[in-house]
Amino acid sequence: MLSLTGRLPDPAGDRSVLAHGIGGARDLPISPELAIAGAVAALIVSFTVLTLAWRSPRYDAATTGRPAPRALAAAVDAPAFAVVLRVVGMALFLFTAWTAVFGEDLLINPFFGMFYVLLWVGIVPASLLFGPVWRAISPVRTLNRLLGLVTGSDPGQGLLTYPVRLGYWPAAIGLFAFVWLELVFPQSTELGPVRLWCAAYVAVMLVGGALFGDDFYEHADPFEVYSTLVGKLSAWGRRDGVLVVRSPLANLDTVVARPGLVAVVAVLFGSTAYDSFQDSSVWLRFTQAHLDQARLLDNVALLTFCVGVGAIFAVGCATSGVEASQCRWALPDLFAHSVVPIIVGYIVAHYLSYFVEVGQQTLILMSDPMSQGSNLLGTADLEVNYWLSYHPTFLATSKVVAVVLGHVLGVVAAHDRALRLLPRQHQMTGQLPLLVAMVAFTVGGLYLLFAS
Amino acid sequence: MRHRPTAAALVCVLALSAACGTDETTNQTPAASQTTATEPAVPSESAKPEESETPSEEPEPEPEPEGTVIEMTLADGTVTPAGDRVQAETGEPITFVIDADAGGELHVHSTPESFIDFKAGTSEHEIVVDQPGVVEVELHEPALVVVQLEVR
Repeated sequence: MLSLTGRLPDPAGDRSVLAHGIGGARDLPISPELAIAGAVAALIVSFTVLTLAWRSPRYDAATTGRPAPRALAAAVDAPAFAVVLRVVGMALFLFTAWTAVFGEDLLINPFFGMFYVLLWVGIVPASLLFGPVWRAISPVRTLNRLLGLVTGSDPGQGLLTYPVRLGYWPAAIGLFAFVWLELVFPQSTELGPVRLWCAAYVAVMLVGGALFGDDFYEHADPFEVYSTLVGKLSAWGRRDGVLVVRSPLANLDTVVARPGLVAVVAVLFGSTAYDSFQDSSVWLRFTQAHLDQARLLDNVALLTFCVGVGAIFAVGCATSGVEASQCRWALPDLFAHSVVPIIVGYIVAHYLSYFVEVGQQTLILMSDPMSQGSNLLGTADLEVNYWLSYHPTFLATSKVVAVVLGHVLGVVAAHDRALRLLPRQHQMTGQLPLLVAMVAFTVGGLYLLFAS
Repeated sequence: MRHRPTAAALVCVLALSAACGTDETTNQTPAASQTTATEPAVPSESAKPEESETPSEEPEPEPEPEGTVIEMTLADGTVTPAGDRVQAETGEPITFVIDADAGGELHVHSTPESFIDFKAGTSEHEIVVDQPGVVEVELHEPALVVVQLEVR
């Protein structure tokens, strides 16, 4: 999480003055009591689910979900609704591009907040509430459509077929490129490099879309894959094209396992864990004692966290009991959806106050995109509400509740999938290594919230 | 990052600082304030207007610092401490006792943020943080985190 703080030179002298009020303060660590309570709850829930929960699989994409109310479905399925969403997405994109290209290289430029906070963090609550949001507003999909209109080709179809074995790997790489920019790259709050990153993203998306059509966005757009994955924890789904309301767990079960899904969840969870870890005093003292290698150490640590999460999960899945005919190493992708709630729980814990407070700040700054003192949206004179930061006990409790809730959903999702995938004699014991991996993630996450 | 002046923020901050009557060497923010004292050569214009105008007389003797005291040394571009956690309380003074071989600036990442300008030699600076959180106090040039304040 970036500290979006900056300053300006004082024209009246060489002294610096505050540029704006975005806070640099981070959340206090959670108390050991809360961390232990959360870890114990996670353990108890895990084994309760394992021993007491249902014994035959419940979730089936073909049967779960009730059709949404007819009026709602009609409104959502209306072509006008899709157009409105595309226009909104495109307007936000153009506004962001305007600030990126013509705005000042200052942290009072709302570009940074819109990119790092509203897009990257906001994509999670938006998708949790409304489902696959990015897919509906994605400016790169819209641009691809517009290009198709101009050239008279079908934008949904590319020149080539998207290779199945690539799966979500391009998205995993794109997500890693994002977290690398945010967490490791030293100039992550300078306009030029971030703008370049965004330009590269748009370019790759347009070329990919031209080559492979809409399939490319579904598999390779890092923001769309992230949003669609989190959207599976929303209540909204589709069954044979019909809008249905499902329980989030039943909806989560409809995640299609493709190659690279483990890499996607590993990057998402590993990078967030690294973000907590890099703020810890231990890591700070270590890197400051080895200043000449600090950048290398940060890069290695980020990669280690992501690969480590993926490896722990893959081994946890692959060491479960299978039949001789089953391929062990196909299991990690088939179970990867169950890490999504754990990720979301941890993201909530990690970003809650940041999103609420820096998000408000960004909405205020968006009124003055060119840093001229304008008040375009009428928000310039509002003030950030720091209620959450002033109630650290409430904040810490919410964070632990989010982590434990995410763990519960993850364990239930994995249990149901295990009932479907594992041979009957291994259904109990076979889940154990995976359960250990999930408890490790949750307890590790709580430890980082406690220690950083 | 390039620094460019922009009207709104500056006008606000300048107006604020003018209204507060801050002198040229301190930044005052609602949540954090700072005083420079015990520096042998205090420029006379830094004395506040409401104080009695007797520049030859030393200000009232510095009381024994309360709250959290952080002793920082800066020598040859090396700073100690370098990233330690320090416990502090909201609303209580946090005093930096700085022994430096060169002047510099500390950036206090509180909400809102504040700055401490220090000169070569020994000086004492006090801040108060009102909003709970982990506040990094970072030296500029070299860019190093001195302490992480756990303000509760």
